[in-house]
Amino acid sequence: MSIIKIKASTTKVAPVPQPLISRDCGPAGCEVDWLVSRRHEADLDFEGFNAFAMEKGWGDGLPLVPPTESRVRMFLAENDRYPDEVIAHLPPSRAECTVEKIAINAVMAGAQPESLELLIAMVAAISDPDFELYGINTTTAPVYPAFIVNGPIRDQLAIPYSYGCFGGVATRANAIGRALRLIMRNVAGQVAGVTSQTTFGSPGRLASIVAGEWEEKSPWAPLAERRAGISGNAVSCFGTMGTMNVLDTTSQAPRDFLEQIGKSVPYVAANCYTPAMPFAEMMVALNPICAEIVGREMPNIEDVQECLWHYASVPADLLQRQHREQLEAQGRVREDGRIYATPEPKDFILFVAGGLGGLHATAFHSFGSCLTQTRGIASPIPASEMQAAE
Amino acid sequence: MTMGKVLDPTSTRDDDVASPGPDAGVLAGKRIGIRVDNIWRAWDWISGDWAAKLEQAGATVSLWRGYGRSGEDADRLDRELREWLKGIDVAIIGLANCGSCTGWTVRDAIAAASTGLPTVAVATENFRAFAHEIAARGGRSGLRVHVLPYPLNELEQVQVMAVAEQHFGPLLETMGASLEQREAAE
Repeated sequence: MSIIKIKASTTKVAPVPQPLISRDCGPAGCEVDWLVSRRHEADLDFEGFNAFAMEKGWGDGLPLVPPTESRVRMFLAENDRYPDEVIAHLPPSRAECTVEKIAINAVMAGAQPESLELLIAMVAAISDPDFELYGINTTTAPVYPAFIVNGPIRDQLAIPYSYGCFGGVATRANAIGRALRLIMRNVAGQVAGVTSQTTFGSPGRLASIVAGEWEEKSPWAPLAERRAGISGNAVSCFGTMGTMNVLDTTSQAPRDFLEQIGKSVPYVAANCYTPAMPFAEMMVALNPICAEIVGREMPNIEDVQECLWHYASVPADLLQRQHREQLEAQGRVREDGRIYATPEPKDFILFVAGGLGGLHATAFHSFGSCLTQTRGIASPIPASEMQAAE
Repeated sequence: MTMGKVLDPTSTRDDDVASPGPDAGVLAGKRIGIRVDNIWRAWDWISGDWAAKLEQAGATVSLWRGYGRSGEDADRLDRELREWLKGIDVAIIGLANCGSCTGWTVRDAIAAASTGLPTVAVATENFRAFAHEIAARGGRSGLRVHVLPYPLNELEQVQVMAVAEQHFGPLLETMGASLEQREAAE
């Protein structure tokens, strides 16, 4: 065997975002009973509903907003989607994830109606077969999808991209990640100890990570543009094992920063070195200060990827014999006697985010088989514009 | 207390095949497929032992290694799996010994069973309930699951081979199989 390079599936149909035609109906126009979900009689008071939801297995343990018909209708009425539209079939159950189910879970999580299109793009991204949600949802690993948002929607939804952007900052955008997690629980069926065998889980399995790229501080093109040629609103999802902090209080030169990061990310028990996975990607967030320094010397991000990749390897003899033998048998030990964290430099996925205090980078290790997906976020075309065009 | 109606946030599939599928019957003269993986050396050892026993009984055995779950690798894997299933009469699919590999094992077992092949998934004890749960959610609650002891991969080879020996008979029972007609009649 030899190094297996990461290439997207060629059998799937390339996703094309569909333009939405605004229904311009407002809440009053949405009184038709499109909602097909089963109705449950429940106590709508705080304690009563949350006890009911926990008993039903709908919740994550945090307080939920009761998804009453009126709340779900209002949520949908502020958007331009029909509730019966099927966005995906989510494994392991392959159950239908409709706009209606997304809306119900978003209401429960406390997400705003303006987040619907982002949520739809997130669901579409994780359901791509190359994201391998089947493995993510069933594994013993703590993996969860993390989302990086590009475009003006970042600010419209108050998605964090500066201080505390991977957790801890106060923003209603946190509810978007939680909504996605509730969808994974209630539609995909990911329940720890039942369908998910995750040994430890992760705090990211509660509200995920939904962060923006600080495009204005990046010396390079936005992540979605680099990955998928999408300028404007887009979301990229990465199946991560969690965040890994990389501290550097000493470096000055661009390559020194990258050496510190590159040498820090590989460790022998990372999923990128498991024989169970033929490959893995690696995502790294550079803080704006570091990015500016690196960008001055390396205006082409491919050079940054190459530099990081070069350092992100371990000598094969660092692994215990039985571990090393498995990877040797798979042809993953290179001629230089090292095992690289990713097959190629392009598999390092880089973006700029974080506070202006600098000093830290964040690395995100991949589960392995899940390949990063990028999707455009649809925006409605007002009916009046459509009529004018006709 | 304020009562009212709330909408159900869950989604489930309604279709299910509760049948375990056909018995494997007499194995002599049949083509038996054993699906192995790239993780569990214990399963390689057990598969090798069972393959030898089956061939000794007059069956032919082909091993297929499922490896690669996304990208072009997944395309290749799907093609290989389809071709492999066409060339066998009975499928033994393992090993469900972790979360994702239970998922993958059951998924491939459902793919085999859906073609009408007598099929058994092999799981370790810790993942028994999970394998049944995933099979049910995959629309095939009746999938046969043969259960090996747990932990398994942590054992020495000699201990694993003892498990293979002990479980060969029970595996045939789970499959509804016998090695030859005479033995079946008894």
